[in-house]
Amino acid sequence: MTLVKEAPVRPAGKRPAAPAAGRRGRRRENLAGYLFMSPWIAGFLLLTAGPMIASLYYAFTSYNLFTPPQWVGLDNFTTMFQDPRWQKSVEVTLKYVVVATPLKLLLALGVALLLAQKRRGQGLYRAAFYMPSLIGASVSVGFVWRALFSDDAIVDRTQKVFGLDVGGWIGNPDYIIYALVALSIWQFGAPMVIFLAGLKQVPQELYEAAEVDGAGPLRRFWSITLPMISPVLFFNVLLESIHAFQVFGSAYVVSDTRCGPADATLVYTCYLYQKGFKEAQMGFASAMAWTLVIAVALVTAVLFWSQKKWVHYEEAAK
Amino acid sequence: MQQGRNAEGRVGRRTILKAAGTSLAVAGLGATATACGGGSGSGDGTVTLRYAWWGGEPRTIAIKKTIALFEKKFPKIKIKPEFTDYEAFWEKFQTQASGGNPPDVFQNAVGFLRKYDKRGVLLDLKTQADAGNLSLENFRNGVLANGQVDGKQIAIPVGANTMALVIDLKAFEKAGVEAKFGWTWDEYFDALQTIQDKLKIAGDTGYFSIMYLYDLYLRQNGKAFFTDTDLGFTEDDLTQWWEDGYKRVRSGLVADPKKVEQVKPKSALSAGLAASEFTWDNFSIRYEGEGESDYGLAPIPTTDGKDTGQYLGSLMLSAFSGTKHPKEVAQFIDFMVHDPEVGKIMGYDRGILATTEQYEAFKPTDDNSKGVAAYEEKVADAGVLGKITPHPSGADVIEAAFLRIGGEVAQGKTKPADAAKALFSEAKAAFAG
Repeated sequence: MTLVKEAPVRPAGKRPAAPAAGRRGRRRENLAGYLFMSPWIAGFLLLTAGPMIASLYYAFTSYNLFTPPQWVGLDNFTTMFQDPRWQKSVEVTLKYVVVATPLKLLLALGVALLLAQKRRGQGLYRAAFYMPSLIGASVSVGFVWRALFSDDAIVDRTQKVFGLDVGGWIGNPDYIIYALVALSIWQFGAPMVIFLAGLKQVPQELYEAAEVDGAGPLRRFWSITLPMISPVLFFNVLLESIHAFQVFGSAYVVSDTRCGPADATLVYTCYLYQKGFKEAQMGFASAMAWTLVIAVALVTAVLFWSQKKWVHYEEAAK
Repeated sequence: MQQGRNAEGRVGRRTILKAAGTSLAVAGLGATATACGGGSGSGDGTVTLRYAWWGGEPRTIAIKKTIALFEKKFPKIKIKPEFTDYEAFWEKFQTQASGGNPPDVFQNAVGFLRKYDKRGVLLDLKTQADAGNLSLENFRNGVLANGQVDGKQIAIPVGANTMALVIDLKAFEKAGVEAKFGWTWDEYFDALQTIQDKLKIAGDTGYFSIMYLYDLYLRQNGKAFFTDTDLGFTEDDLTQWWEDGYKRVRSGLVADPKKVEQVKPKSALSAGLAASEFTWDNFSIRYEGEGESDYGLAPIPTTDGKDTGQYLGSLMLSAFSGTKHPKEVAQFIDFMVHDPEVGKIMGYDRGILATTEQYEAFKPTDDNSKGVAAYEEKVADAGVLGKITPHPSGADVIEAAFLRIGGEVAQGKTKPADAAKALFSEAKAAFAG
């Protein structure tokens, strides 16, 4: 049972070098490349592709992990579409995506515009605004969020100042989703950095020319900045909505693992998790997973289709 | 990369590759060998058993002490502990069991027996008892039956517990109300009303979402939550139960579910939101730690002035049917349920000790344990203890659904009739699973 770590190494040069690089050499070179890639390829096949294909099969079966899967055709899908909790999870997820993504991007763009201006301590500001994106997904931040949005905590007290006495958001099924939205928006740093990069690419002479023509700041933003960064905007919209569809951790932690109260934070992946790992309905859970994949693919397709109308690539303009 | 490369460089790289490949393969082999070695026997006759449980830190500390004691007496058996909280425990267990790799010995509860018996995971310990490796004698109050399913002994109780009402003693005293044996639900809710009027706090934390309390209520009325294969009540029964519950939420007799939600994982009783809460008696220790008041156990309200519907439940130890060491597993369980020293260490953490050896060895000194012992004695003296009713496969999923849907009713998000309908439909799926 001892582990032999060092393998015998053949002294270099004992064997004659292979003949000059020809096809064989190239093939060997390729082989070496594949060998280096093999851990990744093995990981991909065993841990990603394999399970995905298996889950595609399970989606059409009834499978409780213990007894072999039984083919049930489209049953999982028909049950799913009629399941009130599934419908609820779709509703919650869509609400989250539709509210959180635009707000997050708006804030990211706004802050990026401010940070794009040259001033002292720029780097510090950027780092500070980026920070939440690094820690936002952690469990501890989830706990902090729970505390922030509870009764008599900072959010509750602040809203009372403005005469809004709705109590803490965490226990309230009508509000808790907005605590999650706020958590998402707070992590605007990642798209902000991408916006910043996009803003730096906009040729300065365009602004100068516009200024000479008498265009005000708003006009310059609408007619120069926005079209010029539209590819970056497109990229961010795409990435952030795909992300938002898959939200899990924050809903799970902020709701104290039950994705409640009253299923108010039952995001799609949370219901999938409950079905799969708590109730062992792996067939149903797989059907849910593939439905999500298809839904996200559709959204992506629509976004790609729509980009023709609003995304401006510089090459096309020339 | 392609240019400026010499023959020697290539050889070097290839050699390194080979070396890397070989060491990878060897490491792989080594890993396999190690994996096979885990949980199994080794050359010198030492056997390693995996033992898993759920529970809080005090339980883990106590169990680890009992393990050390066991290893001292059985030097040829090593115990590898695995522990986590309740929800994570069953998720992990399900995955491990489906992969044929559950722990050899593990904590179990009534709601899971049929589920895992049906899936062939549980060892029938009767054969081991017949072989003399495990004694089935000296169990108190017939709790051994809690671990029996269809004539098989698939779990051995380590303790006995029963549902109880935990009350905030100071609040009850201040309001001048008293919890009496045999009090009726009307008297109970009247008492809560007095508390609400005088102290401006709710009376209860949300009784109507607790499956095991509804079970008691049903038993008081000649029914039970489960039959062998189904639910033992009607949709109308449940609609009524939840309608009454929701009425009491709106009148403030039951604590505001929004506030209850926010103090989690703390209990709403220890947070001072309400004056009483129904739970298992062995959980009562948590309130002293969490809250600032004094807490005590009070009788379950009745329908007819006598019958509380109570029975003794159990936390138990079960073994994996595929364990390589059934004999050692049986010896371990035997030690854990019969050894007096183990009883002294564990106390009433998992309920009142199940065997007379351990029960007599442990003399409670703290108020909570004394309270629990006195409570069980009183319940036993009252002659109201009934037999445990079946828990079909899927009972665990239904308990969770009952809690969740009851919470929706409390929040006013689901009408009681729709909620009852939802529970029945989810139960159907759970029984089929």
